Amino acid sequence: MASIIELQDIHHSYGAVETLRGVSFSLSPGEVVGLVGENGAGKSTIVKVLTGVVQPFKGTIVVQGSERVFANPRVAREAGIAAMYQEPMLFPDLSITENIFAGHQQTRRGTIAWRQMDKEARVLLAQLDLPIDPQTPVYQLRVAERQLVEIAKALSSGARLLILDEPTAVLSAREVDALYTIVRGLKARGVTILFISHRLEEVYQWTDRVIVLRDGQKVAEKPTKDVTIPELIRDMVGREIATLYPKQPAKIGDTILEVKGLTHRGYFEDVSFALRQGEILGFAGLVGAGRTELAQSLFGIDPIDSGQITLAGYPFHPRSPRHAISCGLAYLPENRLVHGLVPTMTIPLNMTMSVWKRLLTLLGVLPTGRMNRLTDTLSRRVRLQAGRRDRLVSALSGGNQQKVVLSKWLAVEPRVLILDEPTHGIDVGAKADILTIISDLAQAGVGILFISSEMEEVRSMCNRLVVMREGHVAGIFASPVDSKTIMTAASGIPSTVEASA
Amino acid sequence: MSILLRRPTGREPRPSTRHDDNAESLLTTFLRRIMRWEIGLCLLIVIVTIGSSTASSNFLSPFNLETMALNATVLGFLALGVAPVIMTGDIDLSVASILALSGVVMAVLWQHGTNIWLAALIAIVLGAALGLVNGLVVVMFELPSLAVTLGSMSTYTGIAFLVLQGNAIINFPAPLVQLGSGGLFGSDFPIATLVLLLFASILAFILHLTGFGKAVFAIGGNRQAARFSGVPVARTRILVYVIAGVFSALAAIFYLGNFDTAQANMAADQLLPAITAVILGGVSAYGGSGTIPGVVLALILLQVLETGLGVAGLSGQEQTISVGVLLIIAISGGAAINAARNRSRRREQRADIARADAEEVTQATSSIGSEQQAHEQGQ
Amino acid sequence: MSKRPVMPSSLERGVSGMAQFIRVREVGLIAILVIVSVMAAITLPAFRNGVNVRELLNNAAVVAVVAIGESLVLMSRQIDLSVGAILGLAAFITGSLISQVNVLGGVGVVLVAILLPLVIGVVLGFVNGLLISFARMPAIIATLATLSIYSGLQVLVSGGSQVYAYQVPAWLNQLYTSTWLGVGSFVWIGAAWVLLFSFIMRMLRWGRDLYAMGSNPEAARYMAIPTRRRTIEAFMVCGALAGFGGLLYISQYGNVDATAGAGFELTVIAAAVVGGVSLFGGSGSPLGAALGSVLLLEIENVLALLKISIFAQQTLQGVAIILAVALYAVLMRRLQQPASRARNQPDIDTQRRVKTEVQQ
Repeated sequence: MASIIELQDIHHSYGAVETLRGVSFSLSPGEVVGLVGENGAGKSTIVKVLTGVVQPFKGTIVVQGSERVFANPRVAREAGIAAMYQEPMLFPDLSITENIFAGHQQTRRGTIAWRQMDKEARVLLAQLDLPIDPQTPVYQLRVAERQLVEIAKALSSGARLLILDEPTAVLSAREVDALYTIVRGLKARGVTILFISHRLEEVYQWTDRVIVLRDGQKVAEKPTKDVTIPELIRDMVGREIATLYPKQPAKIGDTILEVKGLTHRGYFEDVSFALRQGEILGFAGLVGAGRTELAQSLFGIDPIDSGQITLAGYPFHPRSPRHAISCGLAYLPENRLVHGLVPTMTIPLNMTMSVWKRLLTLLGVLPTGRMNRLTDTLSRRVRLQAGRRDRLVSALSGGNQQKVVLSKWLAVEPRVLILDEPTHGIDVGAKADILTIISDLAQAGVGILFISSEMEEVRSMCNRLVVMREGHVAGIFASPVDSKTIMTAASGIPSTVEASA
Repeated sequence: MSILLRRPTGREPRPSTRHDDNAESLLTTFLRRIMRWEIGLCLLIVIVTIGSSTASSNFLSPFNLETMALNATVLGFLALGVAPVIMTGDIDLSVASILALSGVVMAVLWQHGTNIWLAALIAIVLGAALGLVNGLVVVMFELPSLAVTLGSMSTYTGIAFLVLQGNAIINFPAPLVQLGSGGLFGSDFPIATLVLLLFASILAFILHLTGFGKAVFAIGGNRQAARFSGVPVARTRILVYVIAGVFSALAAIFYLGNFDTAQANMAADQLLPAITAVILGGVSAYGGSGTIPGVVLALILLQVLETGLGVAGLSGQEQTISVGVLLIIAISGGAAINAARNRSRRREQRADIARADAEEVTQATSSIGSEQQAHEQGQ
Repeated sequence: MSKRPVMPSSLERGVSGMAQFIRVREVGLIAILVIVSVMAAITLPAFRNGVNVRELLNNAAVVAVVAIGESLVLMSRQIDLSVGAILGLAAFITGSLISQVNVLGGVGVVLVAILLPLVIGVVLGFVNGLLISFARMPAIIATLATLSIYSGLQVLVSGGSQVYAYQVPAWLNQLYTSTWLGVGSFVWIGAAWVLLFSFIMRMLRWGRDLYAMGSNPEAARYMAIPTRRRTIEAFMVCGALAGFGGLLYISQYGNVDATAGAGFELTVIAAAVVGGVSLFGGSGSPLGAALGSVLLLEIENVLALLKISIFAQQTLQGVAIILAVALYAVLMRRLQQPASRARNQPDIDTQRRVKTEVQQ
């Protein structure tokens, strides 16, 4: 079957980092192709290349036989490529109809033909099994419904390739099924779907073919029926990296944090676990399993509906981040730039932000001397090599930025440190440094909650592992635990492995 | 043992590959800290002053200097008061109205027999209260500060009108007039200017040296990150509104002292110049950066410019126009400088990443080597 | 997860989805207007007075015309604080020039009278748009600057003198008091503008582009909407309407001096906000702005008739803005569906600023 789009030897780099190294594949009409790989393997870069957001510096894109250059998103759209992300990019105040036809409203004699558009929107929505009045403004829709609007949008503009980028992460099981039905319907209509997901059993179920990326290269491409999930995992993870995980054994002390039946309706439910001093408790699970939401509720950012938390023996009701910090908690957020750093401030200011109160002298003055000394101590501790001390943090590399954020929490000297994807998007050198520090912290008696989507990392660093699925605790395992167990618990395929606390 | 003091395990720290680092001279640090904006302002002040004094011989006369200084007092307090609010990323359009209302209340109280200084104190308390209302509505109800202070601006002015109707109160007691327009110990140096500089210093101290001030800038820079880091965001945001209210009340006191008249719409035209002075002073309209010395310099520049233009024959309105044009030029210029700075910053960042990559390759190989060694030695 | 609700039936959604929250907003406004009018008419004989009603509606019409222009700017997530000055400048220039243009005879004069203030407004609005789109100035600061510049120009151009009523052609003077089919001419004019812009904002792509830009500027750029151009155009239209307001001003007051239009921007923004135009952009309508104008002025009128001080008007305006904003905010939050991941997204401004700082 003739391909509708073909990528040939695509190379892309961001600065000095090569994100894609010669990736080639082709997609045919009516196929559902899965694209899998670890974080940083290059999946999102491929999407950006296909949608015209970035341009490769080497390689060609061929659309239906002719070579094309996607200089901007519009060109890609006109070539029939549409993408749907986890959080659809819609206009919240505008109606479903208007969103579907955004950019290509139907006009009759120069004016917008609302009635006609509404009718067509209704038809599209019916096909997608979304029985909502298309005149409803989008802000009233839930994420799953917004995704369907995005799909309707793609269909109405005649998309031939629909890229679904981690769509199921934010959906409930029922909504996932609904989406799968839609995908099957689209396939029958000849639309090609590129399905990117961490959820391997979904990939297994939905796709005809699977492409595996690792470190910017395509390492495998097989018909789905010819692979098994363990094989996929092996291809994704690849190298033997145990030596790069510097976990030292630590003395495990008393229980420092105990959580019972913690619930935040709509985000997580009935979560229970215990954390001991010096222990690194991993939190694995698929994106959207509720781990970050759990962390944010523990830290006082989000509310808690029911359940109990006991911290160092005392009942703990987190009211705000400030309150949580004063009780000895620390939280390294997933999105360091948006939640962890003030980009307009210097390294010392960012590093010491959580302990300013402690550094104050007479009249509330924050002495630069004290701040700088603390900064130097912390910088040495995390091996921060960032040149001048008073550089703005926005100028640092990702790894250095994360070190600054981590230092901020070191300064607090917490009892419990919650880490949310601490090595996400960081170069290998900084990653090793950060993991070493985490290991040291455990040895110093800090209890650590370690949220990570990187299987190897979470397996090697943690004493025990909590696997979450759709807001529930699916299992608690003691190290060493193999990837397959984790994955099956995370995705819900029944397994016979015993859970042991 | 404190986490911080434990020696890191594993490999030795990498030797610094950059040669400059912390061994900078004090002078260079100072110069770099001063930010080009303030220097630009100083330059402009010098240029305008030179220009004006050549055009008019008594531009720099004590009398003229005194007049300029006095003229800038009310505006100065307003601008200083609204600056911290803008630094947190919000805006307060009601400062001139708080001036009006607290001034009116002060005047009416005095008219009914209250001691003038007690009335002044009450005005300050009222100013703080009005500011507090602003802060509470914006922060607690999570409403846009533009809308809320637009509303409170009208409300407070309206109440001022209701209190005073269309009347004016004049002939304030000599001590107040002395405060507002008199000289220090009988000299030409205005007491008002001294007080203004005093308060500017206090505010500069608070904003640039204390933890509270750092909180202000952190909130303006990234409110959520500040909140997640334990910075008392709500409290700080409300407090800057209170500060604005207090400074507005101070402005009212000096208004009465200087102009010896209280009317419900007094200083209504000073809101825009106050915000102009703040932005001109280098405070970012989005918050997170700016300095009090910069605002003070901008105030001086504005005053010198207006007077200088007057000397050059421009009418009052032409001066206002020029100020507007200056604001535009300043912002556009600032934006251009920022864009250039960001470009060089990105280059630095890419160099960082490249360097980090290059280093980690050597690092990784050496680390694997040392780990194996440790392993072999029976760890 | 068992907790997540099933998608409700289309009937439920049809009803609760509130086909157009927008339309509901206007219906609500009309309802409030009717209630207030009826109550006032019953309790205050002075309110029922024909002259009073006519004046009220005429005044509201002037506010409404300018508020429509302002609403366009607000809906695209900008703001224009210079409309009062534009109105004044256009009024003065038109007023003084019109008395000297008797060249083309009757029709010519009318044409000039209408076109001149529009052109002036367009030019001044163009400057605003340029500053915001190309010099990248935040709208508040830019229009604050142009406000001082334009009002300064007002004084400059007038040179201390005024335009007097007798200098203005009779037909223009009488426009304020004339009635067509029993309804004041200003009302007809206002209604015409409302109809025109309701049509534009609803039925033309140009109008929908503005809504899109206000609702999600990033997505708008991604969809290849020419945001820079639209911004400039929106400000030009806003300026034009403010200029037209200047024409109405001449008719209303006869005399035009250097302070014409001062402070008017506050009334206009208050009217728009009360009429449901969101300061965050993306929602509201010209009709809403017009209804807001009527409601605002009606309440002022009632207060005046109740012998409540004229100075209470300002207070009222202020309180009205705050209440309206709070009310709409509460309603929006009630209806909004918090997506589970969206909770972790920062507010849009931080997002925008962080993005530009780092990625440029």
